[in-house]
Parts: sequence; C-alpha cells; structure tokens
Amino acid sequence: MAELLQQIVSGLASGAIYASLALALVLIYRSTDVINFAQGEMATFTTYTAWSLMHHGMSYWPAFALTLAIAFAGGVAVERVVIRPVERRPELVIVIVTIGLLLTINATIGWIWGADVKAFDSPFPNNTWDVHGVTISIQDVGTLGVCLFTVLLLWGFFRFTTVGLAMRAVAINPNASRLLAVRVGWMLALGWGLAAVLGAVAGMMAAPTVFLDPSMMLVILIYAFAAAVLGGIDSPVGAVVGGLTLGVLINLLSRYVDFVGTELRLPTALAVLLVVLIIRPQGLFGHRAVRRV
Amino acid sequence: MIALPRPLYTAVKLTALAAAVAILAVLPRFMGEFRVGQFTFVGIYFIALLGLNILTGYSGQISLGHGAFMGIGAYVTAVLTLGRKGLVLFGHHPPSWIPLGDGMRPTLTIPIAFVVTGIVGLLFGMPALRLAGVSLALATFAVAVSLPTVAKRFDDVTGGGGGLSLPLPETPFGLHLSAPHWLYYEAWGCAAILFVVAWLLVRARVGRAWRSIRDGELAATASGVSPALYKTLAFGVSSAFAGVAGSLLAIQVAFVNPDTFPLSLSILLLASVVVGGLGSLSGVIVGALMLEFLPVYAQHPPLVGQSFSKQAPGVVFGVVLILIMFAVPAGVAGLLRRIVRPLTKPVPTVSD
Amino acid sequence: MKKSLLVGMTVALATAVTCSSALGATRTSSSPAATPGVTSSSITIGGTFPMTGVASLYAPIPRGMDTYFNFINARKGPDGKKGVFGRKIVWKYYDDVYNPANTVQLTNQLILQDKVFAIVGSLGTDPNIAIRPILNQRKIPQIFIATGASYWGLSYKDFPWTIGWQPDYIAEGIAYGRWIVKNAPNAKIAVLYQNDDYGKDYLRGLKIGLARKTSLIVSEQGYEITDASYASQISRQKASGADTWVLLTTPTPTVRAIATAKALAWKPNTIVINSVSAIDTVMAAAVARAGADFVAGAISTTYLKNVTNPKYAKDPWVRQYRQLVSKYGPQGVEVNNGNTYYGVAKAYDIVKVLYLAGKHPTRQSLMAATLKMNWVNPYAIKGVKVKTGKTDHFPLSQVRLIRYGNGSWSEFGPLIKGR
Repeated sequence: MAELLQQIVSGLASGAIYASLALALVLIYRSTDVINFAQGEMATFTTYTAWSLMHHGMSYWPAFALTLAIAFAGGVAVERVVIRPVERRPELVIVIVTIGLLLTINATIGWIWGADVKAFDSPFPNNTWDVHGVTISIQDVGTLGVCLFTVLLLWGFFRFTTVGLAMRAVAINPNASRLLAVRVGWMLALGWGLAAVLGAVAGMMAAPTVFLDPSMMLVILIYAFAAAVLGGIDSPVGAVVGGLTLGVLINLLSRYVDFVGTELRLPTALAVLLVVLIIRPQGLFGHRAVRRV
Repeated sequence: MIALPRPLYTAVKLTALAAAVAILAVLPRFMGEFRVGQFTFVGIYFIALLGLNILTGYSGQISLGHGAFMGIGAYVTAVLTLGRKGLVLFGHHPPSWIPLGDGMRPTLTIPIAFVVTGIVGLLFGMPALRLAGVSLALATFAVAVSLPTVAKRFDDVTGGGGGLSLPLPETPFGLHLSAPHWLYYEAWGCAAILFVVAWLLVRARVGRAWRSIRDGELAATASGVSPALYKTLAFGVSSAFAGVAGSLLAIQVAFVNPDTFPLSLSILLLASVVVGGLGSLSGVIVGALMLEFLPVYAQHPPLVGQSFSKQAPGVVFGVVLILIMFAVPAGVAGLLRRIVRPLTKPVPTVSD
Repeated sequence: MKKSLLVGMTVALATAVTCSSALGATRTSSSPAATPGVTSSSITIGGTFPMTGVASLYAPIPRGMDTYFNFINARKGPDGKKGVFGRKIVWKYYDDVYNPANTVQLTNQLILQDKVFAIVGSLGTDPNIAIRPILNQRKIPQIFIATGASYWGLSYKDFPWTIGWQPDYIAEGIAYGRWIVKNAPNAKIAVLYQNDDYGKDYLRGLKIGLARKTSLIVSEQGYEITDASYASQISRQKASGADTWVLLTTPTPTVRAIATAKALAWKPNTIVINSVSAIDTVMAAAVARAGADFVAGAISTTYLKNVTNPKYAKDPWVRQYRQLVSKYGPQGVEVNNGNTYYGVAKAYDIVKVLYLAGKHPTRQSLMAATLKMNWVNPYAIKGVKVKTGKTDHFPLSQVRLIRYGNGSWSEFGPLIKGR
C-alpha cells in the first residue's frame, strides 16, 4: 500500500512539471491559436539565463524576478519579430516557424552554455517528509503549489481582467476585436510574453530535479503537449489535471503492468490518452466547437 | 502579360515534366558517386513528401509522425531481406508465427513495405477520424515518439537498439550498373511510379473528395462525400508512400535501428512539405532538395564562418527555415503558381 | 481522362529513356591513383561525432583531437619535420546527431568527397556498426572507435579493418562485479541502467564479474532516454532494501537519479558510478543537490589522468595538455572537460600509429601498425600500456578503481586487466 501511494506521489510530482509547461502551451494556444513547438526551448533558455545570473553572484529571488522580466521581454520580442510576419498565414506555416525557432534556440543554448549538466538552485529546502512510509519531498510539494497558484492566477486573469477578456476575444475573432478597438497585435505579443513567463517558471521549478541540460525541456515538451491536449488545449485547469493524471498514469502503468514495464511507459500512456481523446475529442475540460450550418 | 490558351499551357507543363525526368535520368553520368548517393536520398525524400503532401496538403490532416511510417517500411524491408536465418545469425529469435522467409531480394520487399505500411496507416486512420487539429497532431506525434521504444521492446524481430544490418547493396539481375547508380535508378524509378499514382489519385474523384474535405468538412458531407472513408484512405495512401521511402532508405543505408527515424525526421518532413508547397505535387521536389541539402549547407555555410557552424549548425538551419517561411509562406509551388497565373487567362473564343 | 493519359505516357516514355540511359551508364568509380588522403605534404583523416543533440556531451572529443593535431602540425618532430614525416594532418569531422543514417551519408562524404585516408575515432556504437560493413568492403581503416562496445575487438576476423581503442564497458562492468564480490560479499545490489547497448553492455559485464553471485542483485531497473523522471524505478529500488547502487547511466541521468534518490530519502551505503559519468561536472551537480555526504565513497574506474584532480595538477603531461589547449585549441574548446582530454590522449596514439605506418603509408600499413602497438600513453594513468597484437585487438584494456572523496577522485588498488 505504501508503495502504491509512493508511486502516486512521485507521479504527481513529475506531473506537476508537465502541467507547468502545459500551462504555457495552453496560454499561447488560447491567445493565438497556435501550438508553439519552441515553448520548451524558450523555457530552457530562460532557465539557463537564471543560472547565469546566479552563477555571477545574484541570489535566488532577484535572479528569479529578473529572469521573469527577461522572459516576458523575450516572448514579446519573439512574437513581434518572428511570428508577426506570418500571423495571417495558415496555421501550418506558423507551426513551421515555431519549429525553426525550436531548432535555432536549441542550438544557441548548446553554443552559449555547452552541453555539460549543471545543478540549479531551488527556493525550497532540500528535505523530505515521511508520511506513513511514503516519502514526500518539499521540492515536489513546492512545485505543485506553484503550479496550482499559477492556474489560479491565469483563471482569474482571463475571467476577471479587461486585458484577459481582450485576449480571449482576439483569439476567438481577431477582426471583430479590431472593430472594438482592441489592439490585436499587442494582445498577441502579450500572450507570448506571458506564456514565456510561465515557461520560465516551469523551467525553474523543474531544473532542481531535472538539472540543466540543453535537451532538458525537449522530453518534457512531449509530456506537456500530451497533458495540454488531454486536458483540453484551451483550458488551464485541464492542463493541470492532464499533467497530474499523466504523471500518475505513467508510474502506475510501469509499476503494475508487466507488459508495459519501464520500456513501454510512454507509448502506453499516450495510447491511453488517445483513447480518451477518441471518446471525448475536446479533451477533459475543453470546449467542443459546435458548427452550425 | 501574354495569355496562353489552356492547351498550350498544358503542353508547357508536360514539356517541363518530361525535361525534369530526362534530367534526372542522365544526372548520374555527370556526378561522382557521392553526389549520386545524395540525389538518391532526394528521391527517397521525394516519395515520402509526396505521401505527406497527400495527407496534409490535399486532405488537410496534419501528421507529425510521417517519419515513423518510414521506419515501419524500413523495418519491413530489413526483416524480410535478412529473413529468419539472417535474424537468427545476429542472435535474435523471432517468434514462429510471423511469416518470415529465408531472406529476399531487397527490391522485392519494396511492394511489401508499401502494402504493410499502408495497412498500418489505414488502421491508424480509422480511430484518428475522431481527432482533428491539435489532437490529431498529438496522435501522430505519439506514433513518432513511440516507434523507437516499441522497436526496442520487440527486439527479437527488430534487433532492438542495436538494429539490423542489411547486406551491402548490390546490383541485381546482372545489370551492368554500379551499385550506387542502381540505387539511384531504383529510388527514382519508384518515385516516378508513385508520382504517377499520386497524380492520378489527385486528379480523380478521390482527390476532389480530399480537397473538398480539407476546404470544408461540413459542406463536403452535405455534398455526399464521406469524410470517414476518404480521410482514412488518405492516411493509408500517405503511409504506404512513406513505407516505400523507408524501405529504400533501409536498402541505401544498409542499416536500421530506432535512432534512424527519430522524431526530428517527422518534424523536418512536415517543414519540408510546407516549404515545397502544400496541395501541389510540383513543389515536392523543392522540399526534397531542401531536406537533403540544407543540413549539409548548415554544416558548411559559405556565408558564415566555419567554426561557428561547427558549434551550432542548428542555428543556420532554423534561421533559414524561418526566413523561407517569411519569404514564401505558400511554399515554392505557391510562388510558382502566382507567377504563372497571369499567363493562363483563358483566351475568349467565339462560342463564349 | 485524356490529360491523365498524356501525363502517363510522358512519364512512361521518360522512364523508358531512363532505363536505356541507365544501362548505358556503366561507369564505375574511378580507380584510385595513389593512396587516397595521402599527399606529399598532407594526410587527411576524418570522423563523425554527435556535436548536437542528446549525445552532444561528447562534442569536445574531436576538438581535443584537433588541438593535438594542430600541435603536431606546428612542432618539429623527431626527424626535424613538422607534422608526421613532413605531412600535415588534415582533420575533418561532421555532426551526425547520433543518427546512423546520417553517419552513413557523412562517412560517404568523408571517403568519397573529402577522400580521407582513414576513418578515425568516430563516435557511437550503432553509428559505427552502420558504417563498418562498407568500410571493410572498401578496405578503409575504421580505427580507434570512440565507444566502449566490445564488438570491435571481438569481431576482427569478420571485420579486419575495424579496431576500437578504449577499455570496453564489459571489462569495466567486470571490474565492478569483482570488486563487489571481494569487498561486500553480502551486498544487496540495485542496478539502474540505461536501456540501450551502453547500459546493457555494462550490465552484462557486471554480471560476468559477479560470476556465481549474480543473486546479489535484488533490483534491476532500466530507464529510457524519453523518461522525464526515474522516481518510479528508484522508489522500487529503495523498497527492495538494496544497500549497493550501481549506476549504469549517462551523465545527466546520473545526476537526476542521485537527486531523485535523495528526494526519496534513500541513501545506499555504496554507490558505483560508471566511468563515463564519473566526471567532475556530474559530481559537482550531484553534490550541489544531494550533498557531499551522499556521493562520498562512490566507486568508479579510470584509465586516463583526471585533468581537474589536484593530485595531477603538477603532472608534467597534464600541464603540457593545458598549454596545448591554450595555444592550439580550436574555437569552443573547453580545457577542464574530460572529453577534451580524452581527445588529446587518443590523438597521441593516432599520431604514433601514423608514424608506425611508415614514411609511405598505405591503408594496409596503417592497419598493420594498429596491431603492433606497444607503448605508454603519457596521458593515461601510470602503468597503463597501449598494446595490441595479432590476437589482441584491444589497445587499452587496463583500468584502475577510483574512490570519490573531498571533491576529487583518488585511485586505489592495483591496475586491473580488463581482458
């Protein structure tokens, strides 16, 4: 029993990391209707930036805050410079541009910081609690907490603020929004900026456990993408539920289903996901687009 | 602008096509062995991109897993070429219920790869019907990510992580051709056949059905087109094409393992088909050329320093990709169409 | 319908033209004049390496080799001439991203376009397996492969043009197995291995080394490169009650595993870390997150001097290495990186074997030279000999155990013969 609980707890911990990056994906999708394949790399880049700041003597919280600012500026810049020229193009073209961005940023990271693994500081103490034979690390609890807090912030932002409302409007109907005097271009840039901030948070929460390495987020992106789609690509709550579910599912499958073992964890989890999507195509919390003729 | 009458325009297109084929036919005479090999890869990618274009360009379904279907074709060829005897020689013990022969001519495995991969594609396409957009992207992404792990798991057939080594390519049937030239003509021969197949499909009812589904599924259904049938068919056809491409690649490289068809291949295939131009068969050649030569260029970019590229060829590749999308978002084919369109205004005739 | 007929006919006609012209194109590749890659003033060698992608931590290796070759090209050798017998070494290498399909294409580029004399030091087990048949068929040397797989030394009868260099993983695993049996005969071993040839080779060696005591292994868990977390596996290892943990993992997964064990409040008494991952960056990162206590006493093996170990700070050859890097290192070279040092050490042997191949080297004479190696590589630890013979195709096969403490590794025990 303790082992089952331990597997679940570990699953929630890794799931929180997937969920954090999934939130960034959802934000970009919700505000610009695009899957940003470069999200993971942008997160990695900003995390490395934080590392450099700390390496040069800055203490954690100032470095954290400065990194978020840099991430925001970076996200806005990327949207204005790289995405804007192709904004009105078919979705697939924008996707290819994000792929180009992924390749560029990934290569740049390796070039600037090298491929050696690096440790990353955590704001949470490196201790564990023992609860009835189940070990829970404070780092994992902290990551989960930050993730939930972020979802709350996002939900509040979209629901209760004018800017959030404007962003939602732009995603649904940019032309109508323009007619209502919404600065569409800046809303899109804002979306990217905020998503970059979320990505930076995800990276800095993950890095203490996953360690800094140029391909750090490449693998996590796979899980984040799956989590976001499972939860409903336009739902932040869905992203978190999706991420946590995925984390736990993978652990339980690999521990208790012999056929799956440790080799087929990921394919099996993805297969389960796809079955869910076939039954409910809009994801757990997504909105079904009803087309009326 | 001079307006050409339609029949003349068609004649021009046919001449261009004939010229392209003629050039491809004689190219090896002017190139060294290495270039011939590179252009064989162009042929292989051409076939793969034809398939992907049908899926994404004509029927409007996104695929991030095309490389995995190539991998399936490659493994089919590798396993059948080695046969049960060959696999056992390498220390693998394939289960007896799988119909493995005792080794086959690689060329003969190509149609089998076509059929097997096509069937897998159909089987995938059926449940995928319920998915669209992002979910479909994820589903195909899942296939691409899973192929390496599945191949490693069933290592008694696939050779696991160590992969399978095929016998070195040899010119069969006693033809007086060097092996690299044989591989070139084999690849482009298949490409020619599949190009005609693709062209016929696109021109036929199937193609029109695909385009109508892509442009508006609701309207298509209202017109009596069954999206389920045609979308599944698109998956089947495109994977069959990918299977042939993978099969040829396995023959060319003489080695298959889970690392030869990584996720990055699927992503680059998608990028190349968009660069070539979706929904048009003529742009595919550009995509294939880019896929083969851009990585090479990225490692030795003439305009940028050599040492920079050694550390970050990915930067060059990524930036060039982005710039291409800025310059020609409709792909090269789209660009050509825009140039040619003014030339094809129908000439009014007396009966109009 | 008419139009499709036209198109079909066009293509069929063109295909017929193709076939007939193909049958006419009987030109085979031109016969080599002199030895490819060797001119009176230069000798060109090449290799492929994962400079980018998940295996890019090995990227410093070809840069290290480049450093040494630059040095050789600039200094005057024992015969008073620069380079090897007056021939400048031209070193070409490409990025194959660890994808064997790329390796094949790039190796073809090296042999057909760059016309290299030999393929030297290419990295990766599967990439090298992919190119082994073609290189052997064309009788092109494939020497000093950068990987610890044991294939090269064992299959020389089928592939006489291929030879490895470093002590192989099986030999290393055997060393660990034997040490455990000798020093902790009642240990309960948990093994975490990367589920590919790398990890499995090590595991095989470990079990051979444990001989009759393989029952000491109470938990054997693998992981995939696509795993983001090993908590599931490691919590099982903790639950198995193991007190000895053997990590057959590449660098980044090694630190992740250690940090995960700490987060699960599991501290095995003895930790064995494979030599590829027992590097400074890994240990520093592990200490940062799990504490120095956790990794104190960890065991590994080595055959090269450790460039950042204070014990070797005054070693004349390590100092020379540092000077070489600062004077001849290419752009992007990292002096404190063990892989750069590995590259320099290997390049030393490459140059020696080029000399051994004679004043007028041929590919044959090069391969013959690789079977007559018998010297001491000054970059290796004391006592290690570079030795090959007709039946011994493992140039380096001796290792020594090392123990981690106070921020550095210390060698202990005798030199162990891997084979």
